[in-house]
Amino acid sequence: MTPPPAASVAAMIRPAPIPDDSKINQDILYVMKGTSPGYWLLLSIALTFVGIGAAVWLWQIYEGLGIAGYIHPVFWGVYIVTFVFWIGIAHAGTLISAILYLFRAKWRNAINRSAEAMTVFAVMTAGLFLGIHVGRIWKAYFILPYPNQRGLWVNFKSPLLWDTVAVSTYATISIVFLYVGLIPDLAIARDRHSGWRRVLYGILALGWQGTSRNWKSHTRSVLHLSGLATPLVLSVHSVVSWDFAMTLVPGWHSTIFGPYFVAGAIFSGFAMVLTLMIPVRRIYGLENYITDYHLDNMARFLLFTSIIVGYAYVFEYFIAWYSGVEHEQTSFWMRTFGAYWVSTWIMIVCNAILPQLLWFKRLRTNVPFLFVLSVLINIGMWFERYVIIVEGLSTEHDPSAWGVYTVSWPEIGILAGSFAFFVTLFLIFLKLFPIIAIAEIKELAIHAKLHPEGGH
Amino acid sequence: MAQLVGVFEDPGKVAEVVGHLRGRGFEDLETYSPAPFAEVDDAVLEKPSRVRIFTLIGGLLGVVAGYAMTIWMANDWQIMLGGKPYSSIPPYTIIAFELTILFGGLLTALGLFIVGRLPRFTRDAAYSARFSAEDFGVAVRCAERDVAEVDGLMRAHGAVEVNLVAG
Repeated sequence: MTPPPAASVAAMIRPAPIPDDSKINQDILYVMKGTSPGYWLLLSIALTFVGIGAAVWLWQIYEGLGIAGYIHPVFWGVYIVTFVFWIGIAHAGTLISAILYLFRAKWRNAINRSAEAMTVFAVMTAGLFLGIHVGRIWKAYFILPYPNQRGLWVNFKSPLLWDTVAVSTYATISIVFLYVGLIPDLAIARDRHSGWRRVLYGILALGWQGTSRNWKSHTRSVLHLSGLATPLVLSVHSVVSWDFAMTLVPGWHSTIFGPYFVAGAIFSGFAMVLTLMIPVRRIYGLENYITDYHLDNMARFLLFTSIIVGYAYVFEYFIAWYSGVEHEQTSFWMRTFGAYWVSTWIMIVCNAILPQLLWFKRLRTNVPFLFVLSVLINIGMWFERYVIIVEGLSTEHDPSAWGVYTVSWPEIGILAGSFAFFVTLFLIFLKLFPIIAIAEIKELAIHAKLHPEGGH
Repeated sequence: MAQLVGVFEDPGKVAEVVGHLRGRGFEDLETYSPAPFAEVDDAVLEKPSRVRIFTLIGGLLGVVAGYAMTIWMANDWQIMLGGKPYSSIPPYTIIAFELTILFGGLLTALGLFIVGRLPRFTRDAAYSARFSAEDFGVAVRCAERDVAEVDGLMRAHGAVEVNLVAG
């Protein structure tokens, strides 16, 4: 598809206003209108990398997992690292939608939609890695408890099965949450479009009219979904952490892993929301909706979770020393000064040290600084998982069985493809669905209009 | 029968006018809001939404299904693992917990559709795109002779305009 000439783009993006339409509708639906050459460029770059990643995966299915960098004793490498990374990214969406909803933190309204969408896409991306990591993708369904002629069942005592159930529940509930939240906004979009978009939004909006019956069941459903999703979000990354903590590998066998992973997940998820929304807010002029106040709040969350993560880092070392277990001590020594020292120091600097700059209010509202920091945190959090998983396996109990794993090119290709896959989905979402929860913003705007002096 | 639609800008006024209309015996009414306002929705429907029953049933089904599935499967194909009993409650609690949330969430969505009367294939004659902008609508069905009273009542409570809808 060729991009339309610039003049017609300009004509497309500022149509004559519908009489009586609200500015909020126009501002937010504007994001969905027209596509600039820059958008197509970004989308085609992303699709190219998706193609590269897919090609490498096909090659790996043909060749076997040997093309990944696995070397004895490290057989969990970049794929599992990236799986945990994306599951972590997925956590901010539910935190913002569910937990902040229950706490009545109204500032979440500006970012909850994008975070929920991001959650769904991050879980989808993570899901790919289960298929990639198992190698024999045609046997991936063995993990599911399906009736079969051999009368076999899966082993529900295994943390890997807990993980399967937790992640697929998370994926399902995230999609339900995103869709339920979208319904009123889809009706807004339906009333303001013609052609195929009207048909699409008409079907998806399910004939929503904002009647008292509609709203009453909607607010109740959102409340209940939030109540259900809150323990879910805390459980999912705990269960992921048990994939590691339930083993006896030094550096993994730790009771701190549940809260440590959950805090890290929320930390990285918030960083990813900032990485995505700072450019979107700038390009589509949403500064009135995602204000410095929202960025400041997100930065405070980053600081808070960074402190928890930093505390966990310190205590891992303390417990390793205090336990008096030589394997544990060696593992942590090797982590910091062994073959993986670079990864470890990237993780410590990006996740625990640099975010401390957010103590300064000037930096919390400095948008370019926040953007750069959020990217660094994403990098740091990927390396955190890399350090935990790869270093843990490479120096297990018996020094004669140690080995050093290095990342191979096919793994980097698939890693890049996964980022591109995520970006592609986000870019498509941006043009199809409202990126800010319009009805929720309106609730606040109508209150503010009627009571200009007080409150919110 | 005639149908009147009053357009309002203040949800508080909508709640007031709905209360008055119902007090005067006009029960066949509907509101249209651009955003959720508890005062409006409670004025029309007093009782809490029945969605909560769906969530409860879903959650209970999930916890039962989670334990039943894991315990039955472990006993249907018995493999001794680490000397643990076939019916090991602690690990199966994780599955039961996740299924509680899964079934609870899915039935909550089903509850939204059933209790909220979705999907709906036609739009009400009284509905207008302005109610997905920032205006509130109150639609009342009344006998022809009551039109003037309803119209007056709505205007007295701050209706920006009141229209007669066909049908």
